[in-house]
Amino acid sequence: MTRLSGLQREVLSLYRQCMRAVREKPADTRDNFRVFARTEFRRNVRLDKKDFGTIEYLLRKGHRQLEIYRDPGIRNISR
Amino acid sequence: MIRTAFLRTARQAIRSAPRYHAPIARPVARSSLFQSKQVAPATYFQAVRSYSAHAGLSKDEVEGRIMDLLKNFDKVQDASKLNAQSHFHNDLGLDSLDTVEVVMAIEEEFSIEIPDKEADAIHSVNQAVEYILAQPDAH
Repeated sequence: MTRLSGLQREVLSLYRQCMRAVREKPADTRDNFRVFARTEFRRNVRLDKKDFGTIEYLLRKGHRQLEIYRDPGIRNISR
Repeated sequence: MIRTAFLRTARQAIRSAPRYHAPIARPVARSSLFQSKQVAPATYFQAVRSYSAHAGLSKDEVEGRIMDLLKNFDKVQDASKLNAQSHFHNDLGLDSLDTVEVVMAIEEEFSIEIPDKEADAIHSVNQAVEYILAQPDAH
C-alpha cells in the first residue's frame, strides 16, 4: 500500500475513534451505529484526495458528530 | 491481573478437587497467596497451569484466530485467497477503512489496544500475527 498522507491518517484515526465509540453502545444496537459510521465515511470515499478543503471540513463535521453520538444517552440510531 | 486470575482459578480448582486430593492441595492454597510460583504435583494442577502460562500463544493459534476473524468479515471478497501471507488490500480487496475495522476486530479478539501508529502499519495477516506475538498481554 502506498504511504498515506497526514490527512488520510487523520481520517483513519477518526474512523478508528468512531469504531471504538461503537463498542460503548448497547450490544443490540451496536450494529446500527457501526453501519451508520460506515455509510457516513463511504459516502465520501470517492473524494479527490487533494480536495483538502472539503476533507478538512468533513473531518471537523465528523468529530462534531462523534461527540454528539457518543453520548451514552443516545442508545439507538437509524437513517 | 494474571496473578489474581491465577489465584482465583487455583482456589476454585482446589475447592472443586475431589476429597482425597485435599490434604495435598490445601496447604498450597494458603501459601499460594504469597508464592504463586509454588505449585503442587502437576497432575492436579494442569488446568490451572494452562491459565497462568502467559507464553501460551503459539504462532499457529494466533494465525488461526486471525484467519477465522477474516473469514467472518463480510468485506472479504475472495476468501480463497485467504492465507497466512495474505495482504489485506492486494489479496483480500480491503480498502484502508476496512483495514481499520479488521485491526479493531483483532484488538477485540486478543483483548489488547493497538495504538494508532502501530495499527496503521498492519497491512497483512503476517504483520498482524507478528504484532500479536510481540505483545506480552495479548491472549
